[in-house]
Amino acid sequence: MSSAVARGSRTPLLLPDIHNPQKHRTTSTSKSFREWMKENPIDPAEEKTQILTEHEIAQFRKPLRQNVCVVVLREGFHRSYAELFALLQRWKDAEEHPHKIQTIQHHLIRAETAERAGQYAEAYEDHLFLARFFTEPEDEWLKRHFFQLALHSARKFKMDSGKREAEANLYMGQVYLEKGQLEPAREHYEAFYHLTMGRAWQDTSGRMHHSRSCEELQRVYTLLAQTLLQDQHYADAIKMFNKAYEMAKESGDLGPEGEAAYRLGLAYQSAGDQKTAKQLFSVYIEISTTLENTDSLGRAYEAIAKSLESEGKLTEATEYLEKFAEISLNSKQDRNLEKASMCLGTTLNSRKQYDGACVHFERAYEIACNLASVPRLQKAQVCAGSARALGMMQTYHMIIENPGRQNIHKIISWKERREDNFSAATS
Amino acid sequence: MAFTINPLANPKGVKKLCELCQKPAQLKCTQCLVTFYCDPDHQLTDWISIHEKVCSLLISIHAPAPFGTLQSDQDHHHKERVKKQEYLIEIAHLEAQRWVSKKRFQDVLPAALLFLRWAMQVYGTCAVELVPAYLLLAQANIGLGSLSQAHEYLSKAEWTVMKTPGCSHTVLHQLHRTLGRLHAAMGKYTSALTHFANDVYYASEMFGLDSTVTSGGYFLMADVFLKQNKSDVALSLYAEVASSWHSHLCKLMDDVSRSGTQPEECFDEAQCVEADQMLRCLLEFEEQCVKPRPDQSVVLAHSLAMLWLLCNNYTKALEYGKKAEVLIQGLSEQNRLRESIHNLLQHAEKHLE
Repeated sequence: MSSAVARGSRTPLLLPDIHNPQKHRTTSTSKSFREWMKENPIDPAEEKTQILTEHEIAQFRKPLRQNVCVVVLREGFHRSYAELFALLQRWKDAEEHPHKIQTIQHHLIRAETAERAGQYAEAYEDHLFLARFFTEPEDEWLKRHFFQLALHSARKFKMDSGKREAEANLYMGQVYLEKGQLEPAREHYEAFYHLTMGRAWQDTSGRMHHSRSCEELQRVYTLLAQTLLQDQHYADAIKMFNKAYEMAKESGDLGPEGEAAYRLGLAYQSAGDQKTAKQLFSVYIEISTTLENTDSLGRAYEAIAKSLESEGKLTEATEYLEKFAEISLNSKQDRNLEKASMCLGTTLNSRKQYDGACVHFERAYEIACNLASVPRLQKAQVCAGSARALGMMQTYHMIIENPGRQNIHKIISWKERREDNFSAATS
Repeated sequence: MAFTINPLANPKGVKKLCELCQKPAQLKCTQCLVTFYCDPDHQLTDWISIHEKVCSLLISIHAPAPFGTLQSDQDHHHKERVKKQEYLIEIAHLEAQRWVSKKRFQDVLPAALLFLRWAMQVYGTCAVELVPAYLLLAQANIGLGSLSQAHEYLSKAEWTVMKTPGCSHTVLHQLHRTLGRLHAAMGKYTSALTHFANDVYYASEMFGLDSTVTSGGYFLMADVFLKQNKSDVALSLYAEVASSWHSHLCKLMDDVSRSGTQPEECFDEAQCVEADQMLRCLLEFEEQCVKPRPDQSVVLAHSLAMLWLLCNNYTKALEYGKKAEVLIQGLSEQNRLRESIHNLLQHAEKHLE
């Protein structure tokens, strides 16, 4: 009933609107009849046929959802009807989108006709069209629903040895991944992977389906592993990262392979297995060198240095960090250089080489100033300050422990001047 | 059984009319003394159709109110009377339905007329409660071939529904189903399909897409499609009907076997007869089909066996169960179905010993 009222308000009124007489009067006085006629031309055919058919009456009397359903069912498309009815039950504000409903109606009927004739490929195309038709975020559930239908149609179609089924699985995986539902996404991508195994199928842009499946799976596995890592299930996370690494290797694309190795290495590192971690980082170094990717090479050096540090091999760690700094300097990656300097500083700090540490921290401070990054700048400031203070303390202790005349002099003169270069003066 | 009365001997202003044809009455029922007939034939017809069931009830309804008692007593009497009238209406409704399901349309009429008359007295002349009576009368008339009479009753039903805003979807679904039947009988297939489509829509809203009520609409639609020579559509609809009945019956069987009790009244007699007719019709259709679908036949035979088992008719259950068992031999692996058919046969045999 409500739609009939809504429709009635859009069509020109037969009688003056008694609920809003004011409104009606303003419209009738502000516009002449001729103008009104121009805006609402009378269709000659409409004028002739005064008697409406049963169907036309139903259009007014009954809600849109019922009319749509009845039209489908009348022609015997009972599967489309069941589909449409179930969708409309879930879809509360469907009446506001007649265009969407009619599109669904049209394509469902086409799909069922094709299905009846056993042409599942065409049914698949229609379902796919509907899935792609819904792009707005609030229609996400419709999109997923029609991809699901497309998958069902594709499964029934045997002539293409599963190419369409594989593609439908890819789409389903994408939809789930967008929603952040990793487990179902993984299932569909795995199906996609198995179906494309050993096939030379390509998509429209000429990309191999199988390598695509490896890449997508690699992504999903990585995301799954990261959630596991967050929950501190290290063993499972490593297993998952390993799967991602395998997928990356199979995809034959070096970039993702390196990244996967790096992530796996990091997982081993946090689990405490430094040896395996280092092996993986070396793989990453190798790949990064081949690809001439200085950014990733830097990260690899940093990661190795961290592993070495936790093994207690500080000298080696420093070497790697210096490499990291060098590479960052050469490639003018200030952010990395700052990071490298901070790391070097920290390492030297822990080896009690405060003067060296101070140099690195100061360099980091300068870069941070250039980058105008306040938190980094402040961190570098504090580190530099504490390193210098610790350095001075070291010298001060040394002097106090050997109280010679010369040394006492030095302290007195320093106390008078209060200058920074106390340490420099001693050495 | 019948007193003879003379119309001329009636008190002035009192006209006794025949229960069925409204002509001046010559006979009176000896038991209730309130029902009149023009000839013995009409009395017999009424007796078979409904009077036997309601004769004693009519006596108590017609009993006069106690004279000169308190207002509260009179109110009580009135309430009791309305309750009895409602009970009478219910009996007449069920009887009429039973006759419709048995396709004995001639016997429907007296019961349905009694239903209509008393419903008018209790609920008024344009209440929505009258619609089921109109529909039963229309269905009987369609069955008897008097389509104009049926049309008249249906127009009344439609008008009543139209005047009742917010009418329940159950009533609407029944109205459209009967309208569809009429149009199909008149050969207007397009509008018959529209009515059946509306019927299915309302039924799905009330009972759900997979319910057997909804599938009844599909069954009728399939019939029309067959007449239009669209047998592919009809086949697809029949498959749908078969599967929804099969799953419904399987669920009932599961409930029964889980609770371990005797099957209670899952269906009344009318429903059972209708289901049996429909399923048998489907099975016959499948067997006569050019391209036989043995899987469908198995499902249908199994459904019939379950239906009769639930209605406690073990002989028929066994008969259809055996049929299903024979049919399933020709099929490849269908373990679950095979197993449940086997269980059903054992169950039926145990009861027959």
